[in-house]
Amino acid sequence: MIVLIHMDASILTIQPAAAEPIYRQIVEQLRRLIAGGQLVGGELLPSVRDVAGFHAINPMTVSRAYGLAEAEGLLERQRGKGMVVAAMHKNTHSRTQRLSLLEPQLSALAQQARELELPAEAVLQQLKKLLGE
Amino acid sequence: MNAVLRTDEIAAAAPMVARDICQEFEGRRVLDRINLSLPAGSVLGLIGRNGAGKSTLIRIMLGLIQPTSGMARVFDEEALKLSDSAKTRLAYVPQKPDALAWLTAEQMFDFLARFYPRWDAKFAHDTLRRWQIDAGKLLAKLSPGERQRVDIIRALASQPDLLVLDEPAAALDPVARRELLREIATRAGDAGTTVLFSSHIVSDLERVVSHVALLHNDRLLLNCLMDTFRENYARLWLPGEHASLAPKHAMSRRPGKDGSMSLVIERDAGGRWPGADIPGARIDTLGLEDLFVEIAE
Repeated sequence: MIVLIHMDASILTIQPAAAEPIYRQIVEQLRRLIAGGQLVGGELLPSVRDVAGFHAINPMTVSRAYGLAEAEGLLERQRGKGMVVAAMHKNTHSRTQRLSLLEPQLSALAQQARELELPAEAVLQQLKKLLGE
Repeated sequence: MNAVLRTDEIAAAAPMVARDICQEFEGRRVLDRINLSLPAGSVLGLIGRNGAGKSTLIRIMLGLIQPTSGMARVFDEEALKLSDSAKTRLAYVPQKPDALAWLTAEQMFDFLARFYPRWDAKFAHDTLRRWQIDAGKLLAKLSPGERQRVDIIRALASQPDLLVLDEPAAALDPVARRELLREIATRAGDAGTTVLFSSHIVSDLERVVSHVALLHNDRLLLNCLMDTFRENYARLWLPGEHASLAPKHAMSRRPGKDGSMSLVIERDAGGRWPGADIPGARIDTLGLEDLFVEIAE
């Protein structure tokens, strides 16, 4: 794997119209990127200014996301450098941990399937197809 | 419709404040007790339908119109009697700029550079080229869109502490619009620039604003942090047979043809959605655009 030293702001995707606040979209993506091993311990995150400028989003939103990710132990503030991925996240997470990150999407899927009165078997079959199995 | 009015505490240090603004035109009320304050460094998006009074409110807040009652303050000075030094820290882009139309963009910029201590001539020059404006053409001969683009450049080049833009998106193509939003985002962060902009292009607002205010039927229906809006407001849908159980307090309520009921609701003090336990109730998260439509339709 190529280790990026300076991560680019384009690694994040922002959906302004989504119901989820932008700061939470950022934290969620950081969780996933770190759990999935795309971001490893010690990697330097783009500055608040870079993320805000690149995505044309409010800098306070980015600061808030970084602050939350720091409180969660995902990121560490390094003096004079900015935010880096916390060292404890050097190893990728267990499968269970990674799966738990999909929990909100899976719950929403389950709820909608029930509303549409679709049998579980049919939904799972379609999901398998989408997963390329 | 039951209006939910959120009034931020008015901080004395806020660069722009409206207090109890009422405005009547020929006996007709167009603004009703508007309280709005922009904390330093905030980016406030003002939304509302065309004709909702957004431009009038902006002009009152800048001291360009005297309100029927109430008071507007800019940099802690009375807006109607703004000092010259306060004016150099302020930039306003009206929807239809018409000042200095007998000059070319280049001449106007040279002229204005003398009055603004922080004038950024390079930015002005470069952006004119990027936004494809003929710097040597008389402003009066430019299209309305081009004319507003020149004015946006003028406003940004003066590096104001307070930037007020009335519907800036209409004049810009998507690339230039994104560029403007980036300028707003980075300036708010770097220089602590306070920004007020009105737009009916809601996706622009959702991206860059820290605060959002919704003007509808002469009143401010919403005035809060953008994140608070996303987390605390939702749409509640009730089937016809239970529509009568709808919560009393809602920002808007809209009956469906089949007797069903659609309401915009706010979380209660305990963080719960009122009415969520009514049989058949559905709670949907709400984007700004959905909110806009729910209320305005």
